[in-house]
Order: sequence, then structure tokens, then C-alpha cells
Amino acid sequence: MFLTRRDFTALSLGAASCASGAPLAALTSRERLPPGVSSIRGVRFGLQPFCYHDLPMNPGNRSILIQRMIQNRLGIVELHASWCEPNLSGPGVSPEEQRRKLRDWRLHPPAGHFEQVRREFDDAGIQIFTYWVNFSDVTDEEIDASYRAAKLLGCQGVVGSYGLAVAQRLIPYPRKYGLFAGLHNHDNLSDPDAFSTEASFIKGLAISPQFMATLDVRHFTAGNGDCLGFLQRHHARTSSIHLGDRRRNNGRSTPFGQGDAPIIEILEMIRDQQWPIVVLLEFEHGTLRSGVEEVQIAYDYCKRALS
Amino acid sequence: MSAGRCRRSVCTLWLALAAAMAAATAAAQDVNAQHGVINFLEPVLADPILQHSKEIYVLYGCAYCHGVDLRVRNGEATDLLHSPLVGLDRNGNLIAPLLRAGIPQTPKLSPMPQFSDLSNGEIVAIVRWIHYARQQGRYRELARAELTHGGDVVAGRRYFARECAACHALGTDMAKIGSRYSRRQLAERILRPAFLDAKRSAPEGSAAAMSDDAARTRHLALLENYTAEDLNDLVAFLQTMR
Repeated sequence: MFLTRRDFTALSLGAASCASGAPLAALTSRERLPPGVSSIRGVRFGLQPFCYHDLPMNPGNRSILIQRMIQNRLGIVELHASWCEPNLSGPGVSPEEQRRKLRDWRLHPPAGHFEQVRREFDDAGIQIFTYWVNFSDVTDEEIDASYRAAKLLGCQGVVGSYGLAVAQRLIPYPRKYGLFAGLHNHDNLSDPDAFSTEASFIKGLAISPQFMATLDVRHFTAGNGDCLGFLQRHHARTSSIHLGDRRRNNGRSTPFGQGDAPIIEILEMIRDQQWPIVVLLEFEHGTLRSGVEEVQIAYDYCKRALS
Repeated sequence: MSAGRCRRSVCTLWLALAAAMAAATAAAQDVNAQHGVINFLEPVLADPILQHSKEIYVLYGCAYCHGVDLRVRNGEATDLLHSPLVGLDRNGNLIAPLLRAGIPQTPKLSPMPQFSDLSNGEIVAIVRWIHYARQQGRYRELARAELTHGGDVVAGRRYFARECAACHALGTDMAKIGSRYSRRQLAERILRPAFLDAKRSAPEGSAAAMSDDAARTRHLALLENYTAEDLNDLVAFLQTMR
């Protein structure tokens, strides 16, 4: 089914209650999610909050992020570095200057900064599962500092969008900090350095036993990959999946169930095999609804798949 | 599209552009630093065709990377406000094929997806929004640009001959224009000619109305492509018309 604009307008008035059968939780700043709140039939769900597209990812919005995750009853998060690091752009600040300042900040963050960020999420009952850093144009010292930050945040791993060449540089850090390095794919089939196909993941995972796959289901589908086959063969080296929908052949993102990603089958497989793979909701399809409502609709789709 | 509808659309496009200018000048430097939640659909535009176009642009996820006002949100995305391809596009002749095919071969991490399943109407709406948003954004940039006193008169004359002389004559409507307006006023009239805000009197479908539509379309296309240097040179040249 493809909704028309009129459908969207009507839905936007009560999307959450229509989709979930119950109104979204009221916003209460002091609420703490109970342990296991987003474990559905043994499948642990979390959020890559990039998909709150209406909420810019910066430290000033972190409290709103936490409130939203409480509303959506999601107790696991993959936290992008930009939620923690200061935005150093501004009038008259060149990109080079901005980059230099960020490097300095990463190497010398304010004392107790990451512990404070962790407390904010802990207090809300949200586990920071992974720390997302892209590692483009970074020094080794920055990589080290990012892994140190992830450790202070209580993460289990550091994930990012990078290719094989950068992955080679990461080898010492997961072992040093007792974390895993997450390899995340896009659907760039023309770049031999990119993680995109099963073969590229095999190359990356062979680099270090501390490397794990963060299989992006949307992009893997768009790259005409076989998600179910991948999980069947590599589940032991897959820490999490980014779950969303896209069409094959570099097709566009769609709402859950309207693309080619086998979302229901993936969830059933993880449930039935009891694999400890964290399912992080992430999508890029457009919506006329609020981010909270759209996340809820996606999450409810997954819950129904597991019911 | 009928001539009448086309005319209305061009007219409302310009009026909406003018109405948005004040708000646009207050736009934040970096959208990713914005505090609080973004409502992609506001302000709701008075023109339903434009509002619909914006909604389609948002609905297919264009706004998440390219920005609803073309301020890039994802550092990898093409800057549509300054893209030469968008500046050269006429009614989607360049943008539509690109949307349909995507950009699978790219050195970027994530290729632009293809939108081959969109209807023609949806593609037209996305193209319309991109041009509208670009006109707003370029006006915002150029209206704020510092007009130096060192504009190149010769370059301005060349620009006039190339882009303006088909419709404007130095001996008639441009005569003595340099003595009538200050530099800032000239710049404002280049970016937003007064006739665009005038009430139309020619009947729809008449030769006068069609000529008016052509002029509006032409000026909006120019607005999408002026550089600050072009503007500065053109002002310097027109100042010599005394």
C-alpha cells in the first residue's frame, strides 16, 4: 500500500495511536525505562537516533533525544559522536579551523564529560550500546581518544562508516579498550575500499577478531545483497543490524514493509535462533509525521512481526 | 500545464519568494547546530502547489540530506543551492533524469538512490521545490553580500550584453539608470525587479501576459545563477549609465 498525501495528513493527527493501538507515552522528564523494556520475544531493540530526522544531532538536543527514546520505549541507543562533541562551526570559522578545534577537543575533552553523558542515559534507563564515529580524516590519537570516550560511555563497541583502509588502522584500539569495532556498510558497489557486499565484509572481518559486522539491512538490500544468507553465515560476527527498508538496485528508502528488505524474516530468524544481535531501528524514508511518531510506527511493525 | 496555470504559478512563486525573504535572512548558519525540533513543513505556504511540492520533497527524504531550504544536512550530499546542474536545469530537463537514475557510481560513501518509481507529477513537484528553495537561498545570500566599490565595469557590460540585452536596451529603459539609483538600490532591482511585485492587468493568455510570464521566468532563472561577482560587476556597469 502506498499512502497518499491525504492519508498522511489524516494519519499525522493520530499516527501513534493508530499504529500502536495505544497513545504514545506522555513525556515525563524523570521517567526511567525499566531494564529490558525494548526486548521483544528475546530480540533486543534499540535506536540509531539519526532517524529522528527532525532532531539535529548535537549536544543541545541530547535531553530531547532521551525524552523521545523514553516516549518510544526504546532502551538501547547507538550514539553518534555529534551528540557528545561540541559543534564548532560559526561565522568566520573555516572548515579547517573547525576541524582543528574538534581534534583538539577530542584529545582534551572537559574532565568528566563522557561520564556525565553516560549518567544522563543511565538515569533514563537507556544503555549506550555503541558509539558512532566516522573516522574520516582522523589522526591515530583521535581514534584512540574516540575509543576511550566509548569506554567511558559504557559502550560495547565503536561503529562508523569507513572502508577497509581505515579499518586497518583501527586494529590496536578495540583490544586496548576491550571493545569491538563495528564495520558498517553502504551500497557503494563501485568503490573497492567500501563495505557493501558480503565479500567486502569477509575481508574486513578477517582483519581482526575484534571486528564485528554492523549489517545495514537497508543498504545491503539496495546493493542487492542477501541479508538472510549473510546472517545465516556470519551471525557470530554480527553485533547489530541497522533495520530499515529500501528497494533493490540502489533504490530509495521506504517505510517498513514497502521496500525489498526481508524485515519480518530477519526478525523471525534472530528470534528463533536466539542470536544476541541488537536490532537498531534506522530509516531514511521521508515522512510528514514527527520523528517520534515515525519511529513508533516502525517499531510497532517489528513488534507485530514477532508477535 | 496551461498558460494561465503557468502564469499563476510563476506569480505565486515570486510572491512566496518575497514573503519568505525576511524569515530567510534570519536563518541559522549551520542547521546541524540548531537547538530543538525541526518542522519540515512549516511555514505552511499560501500557494498550495508550492506547499505540495515541499511535502513531496520531504516525503521522499530529499530534505534529510539536501536540507528543506537546501542547506546541506549530510556533509556528503550535493549542495543544491550552488550546484551548476541545478542552475542550468529548465523544468527538470537535467534534474529529472538524475532523480530517476540516481548516482550509483560515486567516490562518496553512500550513493544517491534512484527514484525511478516516482510519478511524473512527483518528479515535477521535487524539481519545483528545488528551484523555489534555490531562489530563496540565492536571494538571501546575494542580498547580504557586501557590495564592494570595485566592480568591473567591462565585465558588467559583457554580462549585460550576454544575459540582459535581449530584453533591455541601454538607450531606453536602462538610460540614466545609474543616476536614479544607489548601488544598493540597483542591486536590489537586479535581484528583485519592481515589475515582479506589480499587479498584473493583462488578460491571461494575451501576448502581454505571456511576455510578462517570460520575463518573470527569466529573472528567476537569473536569480538562481548570479554570483556576487556578477552582481557587483553589473551594478558597476549600470552605474555608468548616467
